[in-house]
Amino acid sequence: MNDVLQTAKNCRHYAMCKIDFLGSGLCAPGAEKHYVCFYPQGRMDLYAALAEGRIPVTEKCVEIAESCDLCGKCDYQCYFVTEMKPSAVMKALKEHIALHLNSGGEVLASEKDSILDGLKKIVGEYWATNDRAVALTYAHDPCPMAEPRPPEYVIMPESTAEISAVITLLNRHKIPYAVRGNGSSVMGFVMSEGAVIDLGRMKAIDFDEKNWLVKVGPGVAAFDLQKAAVQRGFRVNVAEPAALVCANIMCSGIFSTFSASYGTAADNYIDAEFVGLDGGVFRLSDRSAPNLFALSKEAAGIPGICSAAYIRLHPIGADEGAAFVPFASLEQALDFTRECARRRIGLAIAVLGGEYISVFLSPTKELAAEVKDTFRDKLKIEYLVLVIGDQYALAAIKAMGHHYFDNRMIRTLNLGLPSLTSAKWLDLLEEFADGEPYSYIGLKRFPDLAEAALAPSPAQLVRDVDPELRPFFEKLYSRPEMTDPVWLNMFRIVSSRMGREKHVVPLIVYLPIDNKLIIEINSEFKRIADSHGLKNDFGFITPLDDGKRCVFEYDYYLDQNDADEKVKMRQAMMEAGMMIERFSAETGTVTWIKHVFAQGFSRKESFLYSAAGNEPCP
Amino acid sequence: MPVTEAGDDGKHLLTGATGFLGSHIMAGLLSKGRGVVIAGRAAGSESLQERIRKLLNWFGMEHLEGLLEFHETDFLKIRLGLGKDEYESLCGRGLSIIHCASDTSFAEKNRTRVMRSNVENLNEVLNFACASRTRCFHLISSAYAAGIDRLECPEVPVNSKHFNNVYEESKAQAEDIVSAKCRKEQIPHTIIRPSIVYGDSLTGRSLRFNALYFPVRSMQQIRDIYFDEIKNNHGIKSAECGIHIKDDGALHLPMRIFIPKQGKINLIPVNYFTKIILSILETPVNEAIYHITSNHPQSMARLASYTERFLKISGIEVVVGTAAAAEMRNPPEELFDHFIKAYRPYISDQRIFKRENTDRATGGVLPPDFSYEIFERCMAFAVSADWGKKLFQ
Repeated sequence: MNDVLQTAKNCRHYAMCKIDFLGSGLCAPGAEKHYVCFYPQGRMDLYAALAEGRIPVTEKCVEIAESCDLCGKCDYQCYFVTEMKPSAVMKALKEHIALHLNSGGEVLASEKDSILDGLKKIVGEYWATNDRAVALTYAHDPCPMAEPRPPEYVIMPESTAEISAVITLLNRHKIPYAVRGNGSSVMGFVMSEGAVIDLGRMKAIDFDEKNWLVKVGPGVAAFDLQKAAVQRGFRVNVAEPAALVCANIMCSGIFSTFSASYGTAADNYIDAEFVGLDGGVFRLSDRSAPNLFALSKEAAGIPGICSAAYIRLHPIGADEGAAFVPFASLEQALDFTRECARRRIGLAIAVLGGEYISVFLSPTKELAAEVKDTFRDKLKIEYLVLVIGDQYALAAIKAMGHHYFDNRMIRTLNLGLPSLTSAKWLDLLEEFADGEPYSYIGLKRFPDLAEAALAPSPAQLVRDVDPELRPFFEKLYSRPEMTDPVWLNMFRIVSSRMGREKHVVPLIVYLPIDNKLIIEINSEFKRIADSHGLKNDFGFITPLDDGKRCVFEYDYYLDQNDADEKVKMRQAMMEAGMMIERFSAETGTVTWIKHVFAQGFSRKESFLYSAAGNEPCP
Repeated sequence: MPVTEAGDDGKHLLTGATGFLGSHIMAGLLSKGRGVVIAGRAAGSESLQERIRKLLNWFGMEHLEGLLEFHETDFLKIRLGLGKDEYESLCGRGLSIIHCASDTSFAEKNRTRVMRSNVENLNEVLNFACASRTRCFHLISSAYAAGIDRLECPEVPVNSKHFNNVYEESKAQAEDIVSAKCRKEQIPHTIIRPSIVYGDSLTGRSLRFNALYFPVRSMQQIRDIYFDEIKNNHGIKSAECGIHIKDDGALHLPMRIFIPKQGKINLIPVNYFTKIILSILETPVNEAIYHITSNHPQSMARLASYTERFLKISGIEVVVGTAAAAEMRNPPEELFDHFIKAYRPYISDQRIFKRENTDRATGGVLPPDFSYEIFERCMAFAVSADWGKKLFQ
């Protein structure tokens, strides 16, 4: 496989090219034409399919290829996440189509179809298609459990009324459908052989500041909503930046590090508008609306299509900062996390492992690997507990006797990472600690010394970045928000890097912050993945509901193009699922996120506490 | 009363042989052609024998491995964790015991671990001493077990209630336990109390780089940070602290070292320690306590000047008194102060260690004066060994 095809086949489908998360501008054809095939992600799939002869050249293929002006913005975005440069694929796609046309190759026109005509009447000529090239880009994602399923139709409605009409038409013709946000869940949920309804055109954001809410269309991505909220002095609780907010709530409910104080699932919204499965429109606040607050223990389908959500707004304090508290063991990290949550210290809390910390901070894979080793072997830091809070919360952490890396130190560490990995003086910090690990962090002038020692600068951080992109990245890292842990946690643009080396498959459970239980489940996750030779690591833990419960993510990784590894992953996921179910049965307190799927509008209590909904009414 | 040191072919059972002092005792005994029974632990995947073999190579004594005998033990377990037959066989040999195993952490947070290593571990070792009717039980303690209740410290049982740290406290408790148990069981015993031991004064070689070495190593790393900052990163941070490279290429590093009182540091070289202990082992006196200490401890100012010369730096000032508020200190000063926190009692120590018993046993052989040449030799070796990292390469 040549390098270009290799790049094309390694698109992670995280949809990061569909948001302007670096401020470098959005792919212009994508922003205008909305179909995923006009974004770099779709073009990657399309090129791979054409190069492997899996689809013919269609009319849309030509339009897609010709619409790309090879501006190179996708290189900035994709390199930031995966270290890949998709512009080579974009160029190859254009060349492939040009060669095909120049050699008199056939261009397949869309087939006439009365159902398609009906859909076009609803959404407009351009916004429904059965072109095979478009369908291909909605057919799969890297999930090892999902087989490709190209849809017959792709439809992009622009309003609730259009969604309603589309559903009515599809129902009339008994055409199955899947509703898609950005597909960034990458769990194989958004495919259908019938129709895929892409809500990417519905990007309305309307603030109602008086009521501390914002009405969000189903095509609004988390990053864009957070950006709009911050511009008005608010914060929203959102997850991955490219995830569409409504879809994210619908899928599993939104959880983030801020869920420690803002909650999850139904805590995040005030109301929502749906197009029901029969095409009728309802609001959750309607007395006659289906009860989506309750959780069905049985496998549940979607209750309808969320066409708008009224999201809670939260205030941002002027004195907020971050504390990264280091720990040598998961047990110690959990003790501290539970203590903070129970005392309501901090807005955002998360136990982070070495994998996340190193990958998030490092612009390249190689540096991330070195940083991970440095944290573990030299600094003796296995886990960092992140707490974001105001000055009083941060003072409380100090009063609890913990030393932590603050905003300034994190910026120094981040911009000085290459020096950190080679710093001989780190040995002293640990060797001289003698029972007081990390006490050096508490020295008042240590930040000055660290700045002298690490020489932090954007230029240093990006010194091993691809030379062509280095000037851009140097400028990027000179922006304060790129090393501001509060901003980074709100916008989460670095979390997509966890799929940089390999595609990540998260395994997520809700459970009590019970050290023994968590350590046992953590070990089991590891044992299972190790037994299949899969890369795996601790993800994160965030406390919920004042520390009575938490959400725990453990990650398995796979090469999405390695058939053998996919088989191993399927087996490992199955075993992990059985393991979770076993703990669930034994403890009555462990809930696999799988059982919350498509029920993210429910109250968190319905899945955090097993008694909820289990007691019959007297 | 002198004790006859002639067990199983004059062999000793030695604990802590993989440590700094223990390994030198082992090497000293081997150099005299004496067999040693090593009781100790494996470490990770490295067996006890492999650990010792590495040390023998370091000493250039690999050809004497045949004089050693290995028993992997666990002092917290009954019969030292040995099988019944192995234990009984060892008991029947009338070995003298040198108990050198110790945890040298000063940190209060490590109290449990230190007490377990230095006090609880004694139980089974003493049980073995009783069961084997050992010829003599030698406890390697510390001069600092004397505590801080009085400045004059004779070679008598500890009579202090206060200590600088848990290490000193554990050593004092261990001495009490050994004395009481041995007296009760009529086992001849001695207590040997060295002060701070550094490398070989003749060769500079050392196996451990703590104590004396810590401050020098800290200073070296701080020097390198600022040298690098000036040479490669415009020296802005250095200038803020008044740090600059002088015309002669030396680094001017203005730094105050705060010591709580006008005191000194009591240092002895490891070759001296070995020589003295071998003399004591030749003719031990029951219930005697021996101070292996220096009558001429060094001042911190002298060590600071040695360090300046060795590292080619200037600007170090030793200040007697409490450290200034952190805001008033520059970053290297604060970091250095943090690094040497645990050692502060020992760099301004006013205790005087009497050593009549030692002088009697050794004919008054004293440690060499701690000259710059010795300091340089030891530090040069430490640097060449990258402070221990390249020790066995």
